[in-house]
Amino acid sequence: MQPQPLTGVDPQPVRAAALLPEGYDTVETTVRAVLRDVLGLSADRVAGFTATTPLFGALPELDSMAVAGVLTEIEDRLGILIEDDEVDGEMLETFGALVEFAANKALV
Amino acid sequence: MAPRIDHYDWTGGREAMLRFGPDTGPLLVAALPLFEEANRTRTFAVTLLRVLATRGIASVLPDVPGQGESAAPLATLPDMAEALAAVPTDGRPTYALGLRSGALLDTAAARRGRWHFAPQTGERLARMLRRTWHAAGNSGPQPDPVEIAGNVIPQAFLASLGAALPIAADRIVRLTSDPEDADRKVDAAPLWRRSEPGNDPALVEILADDIADWLARCEA
Repeated sequence: MQPQPLTGVDPQPVRAAALLPEGYDTVETTVRAVLRDVLGLSADRVAGFTATTPLFGALPELDSMAVAGVLTEIEDRLGILIEDDEVDGEMLETFGALVEFAANKALV
Repeated sequence: MAPRIDHYDWTGGREAMLRFGPDTGPLLVAALPLFEEANRTRTFAVTLLRVLATRGIASVLPDVPGQGESAAPLATLPDMAEALAAVPTDGRPTYALGLRSGALLDTAAARRGRWHFAPQTGERLARMLRRTWHAAGNSGPQPDPVEIAGNVIPQAFLASLGAALPIAADRIVRLTSDPEDADRKVDAAPLWRRSEPGNDPALVEILADDIADWLARCEA
């Protein structure tokens, strides 16, 4: 069963602690799928991404325009809002950093 | 079957229009998304309308003022709606087909029904535009008009976009990855987000079936 906060546009907070392990996997799966869909990467390639896989600056497909698409698609799929002043190089540095940023938004 | 190149006139001028399928029977009036998403979905939309034509379903794909091949400056949303309402119908029953933010445009015409694919609110589109502007290295207050990824957009347009909602549709189809409500969800990648424009013939077939069935129910 999918955790409730991820299915609506207006996620309910609070139950994060109980849902964290499963919820974190869902967020990671979502971020992986977004990178595949927006950047046009193969499923095999994104399946190989680990927490330390570098993203911005390392993937030629992820230019500044694509960053906007990736963040907006993550917002849409997880029902979260990312403010422009929260977007910095650090959150896009690695796959793990991006997943963690999205998980903090979606699960807390 | 190749589309025919046509045009239509509205009070603000003349715009280009592609025409598909038979000259009689119900007519679908298709609206592409605004701005960059139009480039990313145009081949897909034209393929869809071609496939519908092979099933005997007629459609038109008009430019709205300020988009596509239009020489006009970017029109307001009400002017775009007025332009689409001026597409000649020749007494045929007409239906609206809206892709993404195209669901915000065909709001003034009396259509017999409306079918939307992954409709997007104006607020989400305005947000994406603002983010694209920031991602290009810009900061501080935006000029008026502002150029975002090659589109010159007046601030008044962005403000009106922020409040724009898709017009009510009789049938909404979305992607499985989209958590918003829909009458049907289909498993496919969002072409409108792709860095490189693409096409999806398998999705075309699914949507063509859905539209054909919906239209048959509406006409019954």
